[in-house]
Amino acid sequence: MDIKITLKKKVKLKDPYLICGLPGIGHVGKVTIDYLIRELKAILFGEVYSHFFPSYVIINKDGIVELMKNELYFWKDKKFKHDLILFTGNTQAVSPEGQFIIAEEVLNTLLTFGVKKLYSIAAYVSDKPVEIPRVYGAATDSILIEEMKVHGVLPMGNGSIGGTNGLIFGLAKTKDLHGICLLGETRGYQTPSGHTVVDVKAARAVLNVLTQMLGIPVDMAPIESQVDQTSEFITRLAEAESLMLRQIQSTTSENFSRYIS
Amino acid sequence: MSKNIWVNHIRKPKLNEPIAIVGSPGLRSIGKLTIDYLVKKLQAKLIAELYSTHFPLIFHTKPSYASHPRLLGDAGVSIRESEIAFPRIQFHSSTFPDLLITNGYHANFNGQYAVAEKVLDLFEEYNVKKMIVLAGHGRTGNEICCAATNLQLIQEMKEEYGLEVEYQGSFYGFSGLVFGLAKLRRIESICLFGRTEPNSGEAEYPDENAVNVILKYLSRILKINL
Repeated sequence: MDIKITLKKKVKLKDPYLICGLPGIGHVGKVTIDYLIRELKAILFGEVYSHFFPSYVIINKDGIVELMKNELYFWKDKKFKHDLILFTGNTQAVSPEGQFIIAEEVLNTLLTFGVKKLYSIAAYVSDKPVEIPRVYGAATDSILIEEMKVHGVLPMGNGSIGGTNGLIFGLAKTKDLHGICLLGETRGYQTPSGHTVVDVKAARAVLNVLTQMLGIPVDMAPIESQVDQTSEFITRLAEAESLMLRQIQSTTSENFSRYIS
Repeated sequence: MSKNIWVNHIRKPKLNEPIAIVGSPGLRSIGKLTIDYLVKKLQAKLIAELYSTHFPLIFHTKPSYASHPRLLGDAGVSIRESEIAFPRIQFHSSTFPDLLITNGYHANFNGQYAVAEKVLDLFEEYNVKKMIVLAGHGRTGNEICCAATNLQLIQEMKEEYGLEVEYQGSFYGFSGLVFGLAKLRRIESICLFGRTEPNSGEAEYPDENAVNVILKYLSRILKINL
């Protein structure tokens, strides 16, 4: 099995929108989807396993082994005319081939639920520390770009969206789906050991826009406290980065003057 | 992918729901050394060997169990006492209790999951219902801890053998994948992690002490003298 999609429940969904966000830079996509799942009390209905995922498993806090996987949740609201399918996971495929196959197969499966529109959540990497993250966007057509602007989203213009979060958005267009990609601005810090620093602030910025666009009621209070917890850590990283840059600059100018003399 | 993996059956013993014991070269070689000891001590019989075009002889990743899609390694054979040997996974059997002892090997990125699935196929052929995975971890804590495929097993390990859950995090390579995929196939599995000091220069440098600790607990769990 290159990919195995297991649907646990038979669900009928009304004109569902697909919202995707896999782990990536700053975990912006994953944090956004995880938050929606938690706050909306979305229900797990499918799991995606693949040989293209990294070759390790996770032992969780209870000592239970978990394979790397992607998950599909649904949310129904009688007041809302579009149900939601939420797609996230604890990993994404690590090769381009795997990312293509997973994005394609997941989309094909979800098309059978009547998905006509998707929102993919990703990160917009800034080259300097970000105090108030902006939300950038790209869309499959110009009408959607205008719609995004109304919600304060800055059109991305030129750039690239790497990984499955970008691919699934690109493939949506080839399948005549309406697609929007929202990118939360982040510095994209990593720890010295190469682990991604979770940027909750960027995810909050995306959530503010996304919930407005979807018109869904989501309590934002819990994420505010998470922002407070992570902001301090990111501020320290930004300060360390700034200090390092100053040191590099001073060393460079010192060497340069020595060279001139 | 699976056409690149094949099993040579050497003999087909009659085993009654054997417990699969799994280990592979990994952190401080704890899993592999324990399996080597078990095979020797129990005079287990070689019953099958699994080969794959995804088994490098020379790994381009360091340690070997950290696979990467662009670092697939080099194939080759090893020579031991003038005998040619391909990289392989070996399955041995022993009785009282019936065991299927598996000496694993790390496939490269292209074959890692498929090889683990093939191993589990063989376990199912032998009607394996329970599995014990042997490995190491490099964090602080007790000399041994455990993980499992369900909470009931965790509780059982705690009550009967005093084993605690301590290690949280990733479990790389062959043994980790067999453990994770076994859960999907509903093979009840536990993993014993012997604590070790990671060796940054050579991750797989043997740790005999951790092996002895695992053997002590394994002996109690299997109710055999090791």
